[in-house]
Amino acid sequence: MNTSVETAGKKLSGQLKGYLLLIILVVISWGIFKIITPDNFGSASNMLSYFEASLLAAVGAVGFYFVMVMGMFDFSIGANIMLSAIVGCVFANRFGLGYAGLIIGALLTGSVVGMLNGMFYVKLRIPSMIVTTGLALIYESIANFIAGGVEQTLPSDLRAFGQMPGNIILAIIAFAIAYLLLNYTKVGTYTYAIGSNEFVAKNMGIKVNLYKILAFIISGAFLGIMAVLTISYGSSMVAVTGMASMTRNFVPTMGCFFGLAFKKYGMPIPAIIIGEFVINIIFFGFIALGAPTAIQDVITGFALLIIVTLTTKVAKGEIVK
Amino acid sequence: MSDIRLQVKDVSKAFGITKALKDVSFNINKGEIHALIGENGSGKSTLTNSLAGIYQKDSGSFILDGKEVNPVNQVEANNEGISIIVQELGTLDGLTVAENIFLGHEDSFVKMGIKNTAAMNRKATELLKKYGFERIKPSDMIENYNFEDRKLIEIVKATYFDPKIVVIDETTTALSREGREELYKHMNRIREEGNTVIFISHDLPEVLKMSDTITVLRDGVYIDTVKSADIDEDGLKKLMVGRDVTGKYYRADYDEKVSDEVVMKVEDVSVPGLISHISFELHKGEILGFGGLSESGMHEIGKACFGASFDREGSVTLSDGTQINDIPTAIEHSIAYTSKDRDNESLVMNQSIRDNICLPSLDDLSNKVHMLSDKKLKEFADLYAKKMSTKMQSVDQFVSNLSGGNKQKVVLARWIGKDSDILLLDSPTRGIDIKVKQDIYQLMDTMRKSGKSIIMISEELMELIGMCDRIIIMKDGKINGELERNKDMDENSLIAKMV
Repeated sequence: MNTSVETAGKKLSGQLKGYLLLIILVVISWGIFKIITPDNFGSASNMLSYFEASLLAAVGAVGFYFVMVMGMFDFSIGANIMLSAIVGCVFANRFGLGYAGLIIGALLTGSVVGMLNGMFYVKLRIPSMIVTTGLALIYESIANFIAGGVEQTLPSDLRAFGQMPGNIILAIIAFAIAYLLLNYTKVGTYTYAIGSNEFVAKNMGIKVNLYKILAFIISGAFLGIMAVLTISYGSSMVAVTGMASMTRNFVPTMGCFFGLAFKKYGMPIPAIIIGEFVINIIFFGFIALGAPTAIQDVITGFALLIIVTLTTKVAKGEIVK
Repeated sequence: MSDIRLQVKDVSKAFGITKALKDVSFNINKGEIHALIGENGSGKSTLTNSLAGIYQKDSGSFILDGKEVNPVNQVEANNEGISIIVQELGTLDGLTVAENIFLGHEDSFVKMGIKNTAAMNRKATELLKKYGFERIKPSDMIENYNFEDRKLIEIVKATYFDPKIVVIDETTTALSREGREELYKHMNRIREEGNTVIFISHDLPEVLKMSDTITVLRDGVYIDTVKSADIDEDGLKKLMVGRDVTGKYYRADYDEKVSDEVVMKVEDVSVPGLISHISFELHKGEILGFGGLSESGMHEIGKACFGASFDREGSVTLSDGTQINDIPTAIEHSIAYTSKDRDNESLVMNQSIRDNICLPSLDDLSNKVHMLSDKKLKEFADLYAKKMSTKMQSVDQFVSNLSGGNKQKVVLARWIGKDSDILLLDSPTRGIDIKVKQDIYQLMDTMRKSGKSIIMISEELMELIGMCDRIIIMKDGKINGELERNKDMDENSLIAKMV
């Protein structure tokens, strides 16, 4: 009895510490911009809209976490979001399938893209970064071909997921599924096992390649949901080419770093959600300041390094790669 | 009903051109502890890894209770009633203790795809309690536990489902005296329940004490199966090596005076949580031993002297006044260190034998414009790998493909090649067979005579007694006694200061 109480207490204190750290980050990032630009930043309604905006990337990031925790990477995130959003929009609009078309189209496209990433990576046996960079070019071209070079716009009557409460509901469902998968299914256990030692995991009968492909599919599916939220929020999507979609990689990847940094506190998913919120506070803070984009990027880059350095306590002697 | 549990029939296995097993055939009975012995690279681990599904044999068969078994991974082997505790670490970071115990067997806790973590933890608590390891908490992350505790968790993982055969591959060397006793207790329990233990160990007295039957392999070939009661240590050595193991094993001298010249002075060295206020001097041509229980702090001594400890306080000073505070300075001043944790701390596993041996000597091997010659590196690595009788195809072979003992030979070859003057050897004969042990002891003796100084850290008391000029005993991170070399010293005099 004492043991379980003790263990629960220990666990709680670890998680509590993690939450406290994240709340401090939220308060600091809010406080800095509130002091500099008190009039047009950081009111309660502003903070709510920053949070809403952060949900988009947070949904993609929780899916991407499955890939990253296994030690792989995906450079086709942006291309996937773009392709999924365009296919969802075409299904909903051009084929007249409405919300069902939007969600199913984007979700299926995201999953198929994830599956292709996983299969090419496993079969070609080359690093995931290279595979997904090559495939991103192909996905961009496909998206451009489907869109016919024209900006795809989602009609206003199909944009419920771009505002409250639709966006919150969809995001909560996505977070709940990710949490369930990670903590209450074999997929979660095997994800961590493969990330820890692939050879031992294989010897334990885990079909390593299958679970790697599955991780990419899960990631793709969540990026598909992110695509629904993105096009609903922004109302349209342009199919860019020449790796321009990579600019969309940045925010979900940053959120994922938060998840990895807070994994040791046993709370990667809340860390991703709050982490994306922090990133958005910084973004909107710069907008409120009217800072040039280049300055925004430099400071955001430094902010990311500082945040991850401060929150990731690497044990003495631990090798960091 | 037949007493035979496992028939090994004409089993062969090759790695490239190296034939690790050649038509090996023998039987193993129910309710016995069956030891498998042989020199490094004799095929013991290859055979048991093939049985446990880690490797796939090339030909032959394993017949378990009359039925042929061909597991392709450890879980399939478990389902057939075979489990294994591997030589190195077999648990995974990032998972809890309970998740590690049931890894690959989660299905009994999964309903409609959802894993019942509470039930898994409850079952793990029950098992840990049954094994007497209550202090280990199922919901803790496994990385919170040390190497030895993780080995104990592996014992639970490998035996909780009452397998028909449990393979224990060179596990005892990773355990302290208490850990070994725990393992022996469970080996005896498995035998009493009518099941079988296949026990791999290089410690021949331990093999004779624990096993009922012993099978000997040599160079991948079956040599003989004998009853433990019918053979002694010398008989086993002869079977393993193929000839009488003659000549001295440990040092024979007892009256040689150690030089007064101090080559390394360690003053008031502390490492938080590990060692506290350690001071001693190492003399020229001296072998200074460190003994104690596994957690006594003795393993930190080597790291502290090599400049590899974190937050170390105090000083390590060489005879020329150089302070050793970091590894590059240590290597530059001719200090070598071999870690107990060979795979993680001494070897670059996915690199060749050549690269591993040449690593600290690259500056010496490069030409005037700092270019390296492939031929020169190969010759250098080849010379020292062969000096250590490393069983390999060539120095281009990956270190990860070598047996445990041969990996250790590569580590030693590296520092012999570097011609270091001070050697800090932590468990230098861990997982090493009798013949190579003898070679290493003789090498140490030769080095000592040529003026090199050695710190030997070991949990094997007999080798400390046999090889060292002085033995410092550690307890709870502090020095608890010092003994000078003498003929009458026995294990009990050391144990008295250890516990």
